[in-house]
Amino acid sequence: MEKKKSMSLLAKQRAAGWGFLVLASVMIIVMSFYPMVQALMTSFKTGSSANLKWAEPIIFNYQRMFQDKMFMRSVGNTFLYLIIQVPIMLILAILLAQLLNNKDLKFRGLFRTCVFLPCAVSLVSYALIFRTIFATQGLINIILTNLGIISENINWLGQTGTARLVIIIALIWRWTGYNMVFYLAGLQNIEYSVYEAAKIDGANGWKTFWHITVPLLRPVIIMTFIMSINGTLQLFDESVNLTNGGPANTTITMSHYIYNNSFGVGVANFGYASAMSFFVFILVAVLAAINLKVGDTRD
Amino acid sequence: MRNKIISVLLATAMVVTLSACGGGDTAPAADSGAAATADSGAAATADSGAKDEAAANVSAEGDHELSVYAWDANFNIPALKAAEAAYKKVDSEFKLNIVEQSASSDVENAITLAASSGDYSQLPDIVLFQDHYIQSYVNDYPDAWQDLEGAGINWDDFGAEKLSYSTIAGKHYGAPVDNGTSVFAYRTDILEQCGYTLDDVTGITWDRWLEIGREVKEKTGKYLVSMDHNGDDLPYMMMQAEGQSQWKDGKPNFVNNDTLKQILQVIITGAQDGVIYLCNDWSEYTDTSIIGDQVAGVYNGNWIIPTIEQVKENSGKWEITTSPTLTGKEGYAANGGSSLYITANCKKPDLAKAFLAYTFGGGEGSMETYDNALRDGGVITTCISASKSDVYQEGVEFFNGQPIYTNIVAMGANVPVVEQNDHHYDARTQIGAAITNVINGSDLDTELKAAEEQVNFTMGN
Repeated sequence: MEKKKSMSLLAKQRAAGWGFLVLASVMIIVMSFYPMVQALMTSFKTGSSANLKWAEPIIFNYQRMFQDKMFMRSVGNTFLYLIIQVPIMLILAILLAQLLNNKDLKFRGLFRTCVFLPCAVSLVSYALIFRTIFATQGLINIILTNLGIISENINWLGQTGTARLVIIIALIWRWTGYNMVFYLAGLQNIEYSVYEAAKIDGANGWKTFWHITVPLLRPVIIMTFIMSINGTLQLFDESVNLTNGGPANTTITMSHYIYNNSFGVGVANFGYASAMSFFVFILVAVLAAINLKVGDTRD
Repeated sequence: MRNKIISVLLATAMVVTLSACGGGDTAPAADSGAAATADSGAAATADSGAKDEAAANVSAEGDHELSVYAWDANFNIPALKAAEAAYKKVDSEFKLNIVEQSASSDVENAITLAASSGDYSQLPDIVLFQDHYIQSYVNDYPDAWQDLEGAGINWDDFGAEKLSYSTIAGKHYGAPVDNGTSVFAYRTDILEQCGYTLDDVTGITWDRWLEIGREVKEKTGKYLVSMDHNGDDLPYMMMQAEGQSQWKDGKPNFVNNDTLKQILQVIITGAQDGVIYLCNDWSEYTDTSIIGDQVAGVYNGNWIIPTIEQVKENSGKWEITTSPTLTGKEGYAANGGSSLYITANCKKPDLAKAFLAYTFGGGEGSMETYDNALRDGGVITTCISASKSDVYQEGVEFFNGQPIYTNIVAMGANVPVVEQNDHHYDARTQIGAAITNVINGSDLDTELKAAEEQVNFTMGN
């Protein structure tokens, strides 16, 4: 009698579990997986979006993208941002986290809020603000002129090098605080006694950081790395709103170019845009896999 | 038990809220009228909501109602309001629901979405559409449009160049709204400071113009013209003023196009010598260069005039003329502009055609429509008969008493028809990039070759 009752309880729990799962799973399948499959099909088609036909050959869009100099340039731009911006940002974030984790620091909460605050700003508005600040007649040029550093206004967004620099600066400003929060959370999980022990053993600040903080933070570092790589590969708002891909398309990102092919400029080419999206998807997956493999110390 | 009841109640509440959120789009189609009207009443004040609601309203609107998508509250929308008021004389119950869009691209996206899904029910009856894009949208989405044949519009009454955009495969699709004729406006006081008059900059060669520009820059520090280099229309307008095209037989014609090379050389030299100010974006063009009073000249479609007029203290100092050319004859060009098109979702094509023909199409109400469109929005017509009205003949104080509107209509009649292409904006982007690269040290021939290759690639040639 008793046994039967416990069984039915288990069955009930299972049923409840399935009940909860079914709703979420159905939503994910309908809202996420089904569109992905559809997008994959679309990527093998060409023609006007009202009248899509299977491409001839079937991988036409995928072949096309490797001959497309604009797309290749956008891939190059995106990787440039990735290689320069992500390490700078993560190192800054970890240093800031270390500083703000100091128990004796006054106004800790205030400083943490200040560093995190840029994340509360919407992507579009901050990009527009940066564009205004770095305009030819903008704040930065006025400050530099008044300080006597430059004699003639620099056309920040009109030259390839400086335009890329501005995007990288903007990205660092926007995302450093975000990553710092993860590191702060990670640091708080490290026992203070570990540091005390290191101190007693005579380790200086640098050694403590390098041999205790970094190894113990490893999972968090890997997570932020994956998130940053993922985020940078899908970079869109800054390219669109800050530079609009210019000058001469030298700051355009992959997502921006994909958008231009579907909604941004002229008539939609959804087949080609979907194909390029899958290229980005594969890139993200491969990079994340490498990252996990390299970062995982368990064997 | 009580907990169960509460949780059931909460869950029901949640489901109801969720479905209410998602139901907004479908409600008017399926639900009873009461809910739909209540919805649209509430949404009319909210900006974002208004779009969906008005779109869905097409099926719910009355026999004397039409809806239209348009952009620019200072330009196109006053013109549409003028047309609505004019058509009320014929049909006192007539109502035009003008749904403002934030940019022309919103209308393009609405068409793309409707045509891609094959569901036109969200479209309004009429859309305002950019001239340079309409050809490709009609070719790609033929089912999304209804033509204007049989509307009783006298097409000979319009500028041929304007109609060349909205005529596809011999059929007229669009009712022209504005006139994109380019004007070259100069600050006569600044020219005077350097010893020049308006006549000295009319009908000259670009080389001479560059000389004057260098002098103006040296003496007054002002550029002789500026342009949004992110969407650089200078090459296109200058080519049209020569009567030439960047296209030949449907393909880009950059590399072997001497006229284009000479024109680009003028732009590049001008930018390098501080005569032409190439702005990085649209707001830098309008706000910094024109409203910021850094230029002694403006060259663009005449829709730029309201922007020039925003600097009140320069009233009376501006005058307009034609553009220079390579040979020194007077240059006529057009840039931008849009027309009204009837979509597939319009269930009352007769009303829509009658409305367009009576107002923008040169019918009886056209004089009234275009007069008020000009007064309230500065919209200048290409309709020749409507431009005979008194309002058009008036001198404009801001332009030193020049009757600029009648001048612009006269200039518009001289604009040469040149070969156009669906990929107009691709060419603009690539030529703009070529200019940037040459200014930054590259070589013109190499860049033009790259630009032509890229445009060919995009077109699939």
